[in-house]
Amino acid sequence: MHRGGGGSCRSHQHGGLVNLKGFFVATLSSALELGIAKPEDLLRHATPDVLAAHLPRPLWARLLTACVGAPRVDALLVVETIGVANLCEHVPANLIWACIADIGHRALGRPTADEPILLQPKSVAPPPAPPGRNRPLTAPPPDVIARESTPAPAPAAIGPSIPGLQSLQDVVAELEADERGAIATPPVRDRVRTPTQQRFRQSNTGIGRLANSHTVRRPQAQAIAPLEQPRPRRGETEAEAVDAVEASTEVGAREDWRTALAVEDEQLVDWQASSEETLTSDDTNGHNGRKR
Amino acid sequence: MESGLEHEIFAPADVLAHATPDVLANHLPPELLSKVLQTSLTAGAMTPEGVLATVTPELLAKHLPHDVLWACIAAAAARAGVTSTVVS
Repeated sequence: MHRGGGGSCRSHQHGGLVNLKGFFVATLSSALELGIAKPEDLLRHATPDVLAAHLPRPLWARLLTACVGAPRVDALLVVETIGVANLCEHVPANLIWACIADIGHRALGRPTADEPILLQPKSVAPPPAPPGRNRPLTAPPPDVIARESTPAPAPAAIGPSIPGLQSLQDVVAELEADERGAIATPPVRDRVRTPTQQRFRQSNTGIGRLANSHTVRRPQAQAIAPLEQPRPRRGETEAEAVDAVEASTEVGAREDWRTALAVEDEQLVDWQASSEETLTSDDTNGHNGRKR
Repeated sequence: MESGLEHEIFAPADVLAHATPDVLANHLPPELLSKVLQTSLTAGAMTPEGVLATVTPELLAKHLPHDVLWACIAAAAARAGVTSTVVS
């Protein structure tokens, strides 16, 4: 008889999870099949008034059609026409339960209610709840909700701390100022840029990383140095063609590279003296060792 | 409708031929439906006379669409040979 896994014995624990209508359908159908219940038992509580109030109109049309063409209209015809499932679906559950209770009481030899549930004086006010349960399901709100004047703390950064666009521009400006040395250039934020330059500066790709890790990036410039080896010859002509700012930046970068090479040339003397240092030099800067 | 029934221009069955159970179920108020069913259960049958005894012509005219009632009257007139126009 139990549906939905909860069962009637634990229905107070699971609430709506119990398939109550399925239980009603199974119970009433079984009672009717076994002869424990009669169709009149259902119509005793599911009166025509209840049916008129709760049954949908298509079911009423079916019922009237069956009744008009039937030689006899009785509770059996009504129950068979509507169906136990539709009755349990549309009639209020307390009425269906009253039917089941009457059937059960009669089957056990106990007295049943003299009047249908709807004819009994219904207590409008709900019964008083026990003192321990006379409280809402949710906690009541506090009397005074104190608002904190301090603003809410900023959310914790989930990823790496990426500087904002404005700070990036500042760092780039400082970087360019360092590389250009005595070349006086206006600040980045005040400089009028062409659309191409502005797009390049605002992107958070290359310049941002370079600005954030300026001291860390210098060994990386050595690693790609062989790829840019033919560029010094074209440097003079290219510097004339491109924008002055971009060209000065490239020249400065090449100068850094040459400076880095000059330092390693000093180490080249040690490499000729000892073969172990050759291996060390190759491990650290393989390209430079081969070039030399 | 009342005059047609009184003068036997049409019978209660002719009324229910147009005021079908579907029409009644969709247009009558719940209290009338309940009354029709209760009367039928008490009588043991649902006859057109019993239905019209509960749902009087006045109530029919009040709740049912008038084209349905007019179709009933026009059909009766056609059957009587008053007119050849049959309103469906």
